[in-house]
Amino acid sequence: MAVQPEIEKKSVVQTVLDVADDVFTRITAGIPAGEVRRMIRGEAPGRPNPRLKPHSEAFLLHIKPTYYHESVTKFTHTFRLGLLSTYLFFVETITGLILMIWYAPTPERAYVDMIRLLSNVPFGQFMRDMHRLGAELMVLIVTAHMVRTYLTGSYKAPRQFTWFTGVILLVVTLFLSFSGYLLPWDQLAFWAVTIGTSMAEAVPPAIVGETVNLLARGAPDIGANGLLRFYLLHVLFLPLILFLFFFVHYYKVVHFGISLPSDEEEVGQDTANKVPADRRVYFLPDVMIDEASFLIGFTALMVFLTAFFFSAPLESIANPQSTPLHTVAPWYFYWLQGLLKIADKMIAGVILPGVLLVLLMAIPYLDRNPSRRARDRRVAIISGLVAGIVMVIWSWMGTPYYAVQGAPAVEVVQKLMPEEGAGHVRELGYANLPLGVYDTREHPVTENEEFNHILHQFEGHIAHFEEEDPSFNTPYGVLTVSQEQPSLKRLTWEIHWLSPEGVEDTFKRTFFLHENSLYWEQYGLRDFSFIRPAADLAAEE
Amino acid sequence: MKRPWYNFLYVRAPILKIGLGIGALLLTIGLLLFLGVVEESRMEAQTANWDGRAVEKGAEIYANNCYNCHGMDGKGLPGVAPALHSNYFFTQRLADVGWSGSLKDYIALTVAAGRPSNVNMQWAQMMPTWSNRFGGPLRDDQVNAVTAYVLNWEKSALTQGTEDNPDPWQFFANAPTRAVAGAEGTAAEAAVVAEPTGPRQPQELFVSMGCGGCHNLDQPQAADNRGPVGPNMANLHETAGTHGEDAETYVHTSIVNPNAYVSEGYMAGIMPQNFAEKMSEEEIDGLVAWLLDPNRVR
Ligand code: HEM
Repeated sequence: MAVQPEIEKKSVVQTVLDVADDVFTRITAGIPAGEVRRMIRGEAPGRPNPRLKPHSEAFLLHIKPTYYHESVTKFTHTFRLGLLSTYLFFVETITGLILMIWYAPTPERAYVDMIRLLSNVPFGQFMRDMHRLGAELMVLIVTAHMVRTYLTGSYKAPRQFTWFTGVILLVVTLFLSFSGYLLPWDQLAFWAVTIGTSMAEAVPPAIVGETVNLLARGAPDIGANGLLRFYLLHVLFLPLILFLFFFVHYYKVVHFGISLPSDEEEVGQDTANKVPADRRVYFLPDVMIDEASFLIGFTALMVFLTAFFFSAPLESIANPQSTPLHTVAPWYFYWLQGLLKIADKMIAGVILPGVLLVLLMAIPYLDRNPSRRARDRRVAIISGLVAGIVMVIWSWMGTPYYAVQGAPAVEVVQKLMPEEGAGHVRELGYANLPLGVYDTREHPVTENEEFNHILHQFEGHIAHFEEEDPSFNTPYGVLTVSQEQPSLKRLTWEIHWLSPEGVEDTFKRTFFLHENSLYWEQYGLRDFSFIRPAADLAAEE
Repeated sequence: MKRPWYNFLYVRAPILKIGLGIGALLLTIGLLLFLGVVEESRMEAQTANWDGRAVEKGAEIYANNCYNCHGMDGKGLPGVAPALHSNYFFTQRLADVGWSGSLKDYIALTVAAGRPSNVNMQWAQMMPTWSNRFGGPLRDDQVNAVTAYVLNWEKSALTQGTEDNPDPWQFFANAPTRAVAGAEGTAAEAAVVAEPTGPRQPQELFVSMGCGGCHNLDQPQAADNRGPVGPNMANLHETAGTHGEDAETYVHTSIVNPNAYVSEGYMAGIMPQNFAEKMSEEEIDGLVAWLLDPNRVR
């Protein structure tokens, strides 16, 4: 059989090299190895530019522009916040999928599965913490991205619709976070979502509100049906909607190009499709290097935060019969909770947020100012700032510091040993709670410095409320620490005071603390005390 | 154009970007390796943590539901409910009742289902059903928590059986292997009836005789607020004289001979019949006076 003459002439080595380069070019969707070398050396592309090929050959790159205007590639123009939002969605999808392996959305299993994930799955807690941190960061970053596009006036013509789809993405992001909040099925989750969905009930007229509430919860109260519905919203419906609107959003971004800094682009001017040749920055390799290194850096930051400073909370299992003191929404809904404290449910929970949302969507159509420059947009920027400050104030009002103080005695105990979550005493732990009876009138001092600190706080809180509250007179507290069982201590908090009429009153609360219990706060340095030196372990065996 | 103050964030040189990217990648790998190395001990600590928390939850459930009958320290109340914090319970009980599963399962089952029959029963009342699967008030996780709590007595129960730390288990008339257990010396029956040192206080008697298991001192007895097993006693000083005898005689008789008066809606034979043997006449009188005191102090 005859072999083609030119192949016959080739040496074996050359043939192998050619095949290798061919494979390489297929993998890179059109860029031969030599071109990669030129890229790394910073040389100009050959002609015709082979670096454009992947944009037409490769699906993932065909949605990326081949080049950008130099001015928009400056990090300090976009802060890569849109890119970051997209990336966080990706991170959430991956970590979420992994979490789904160990999770069943039923009240019998959800919480137990969480415990199993934390104690029996290698990297299970890490995945959960990453997913939770990613969700909170996503809310933060998407909001920051909105603020950026607002401040640079990027929502103006022709990008009004980009902004509009962005608002939808923001709402979906918030709902995604919120729907995921219920899934651990602990007290924190259950009550935040119970309160959240109860706002739906306030939608007028009553029949609509009730129906919406019933549809969301699957029953008058959240139970097995509600959990399943929230699960399906969280893992299927909302991600799909986000996915869809992301592409609409991003299509518009590419279509109009990212807006140039306001000095370089007038409203309505088409700079996207007319980038002067000398200002072009090609995606391959410059922007890709930039974006890839940025995302890797961000991933490192997330892993670092998860490893040391962020631990997703898990409180007691959901109990529809008992509402914990000071139930709070996740921080990104504090503003709503604050509003609910000063107005009734229909106004604060439905009408006002609805109006705000419509306003937000309508900004590009309301703002007729033809300039994108900050100095011409004083009104817009100041109203934006004011809106931001109002949000912060409302959020502050949403925290328990504002207008939900319970009875002083209840609050004193709650400060030291809250019904749910950690608190100083639990964080101090079993080993640091010496047995005994400690009466604040005697200013007890023990040998344990940290425990003394607790006793001191106990006295301090009582004194504080004595000053604040006229119905809380000559109060004193007694903390009794006793051994309930092997490895289990009983802490009885008793607070005595006189009412204004001089009648003695008492509040008593009992908690138990086990030697092996670890309690943690969501934010703050992780407790690594479980790492014991190898010598210790050996000694035990 | 004026550069903003945050301009330093803008890294321009590709080589620096690549360097930072590689640095971040190495950092990530390093962090993951570190987490991987401590992962085993982290999982152990978490396992112990959640076991510990179950015991804490169980302690609360016990204090709210079980302690009335099984006693403060789990040492049982005579005539009301057996000890759980007992050497016998942890070492011998399963063999005696013929249960082939684990003690954990035995406790969980008993808590969940209760004791469904009162035939030949020597206790004042049946152990109620606790699991909401069988009509009780507790969810399964709560049943498991209280089981964990009871099991947590094991360490100290195993030290029982000495002079000053007797096993509180009470052997009952028809206990299957009373002789066997007694021979092994796991329990000191004598210890249950402590040598009296002068009359005991009514407060103490009310607890140690197990009255509190069925009678609530803080709730008044009323048509819409009836004690489920025995009548409530907060308003005893008002109601005791309404039975045709003076209040003292009525209460006294009801203690030494419970079936003499059986209040409407309660069953005869629930309250132990042998209190006259377990308390001195002086103690019973003290108890009667205390029960009838409108300003009763606990
Ligand atoms: C999940 C949420 C979101 C994702 C994944 C996303 C993604 C992106 C991306 C990748 C860009 C390219 C430019 C850049 O990086 O800044 C962009 C631009 C833009 N986004 Fe978003 N975005 C989201 C939410 C929003 C929101 C909430 C708004 C505003 C309400 C918004 C408004 C805009 C606008 C106006 C642009 C054009 C910016 C310009 O041309 O300078 N986006 N978005």
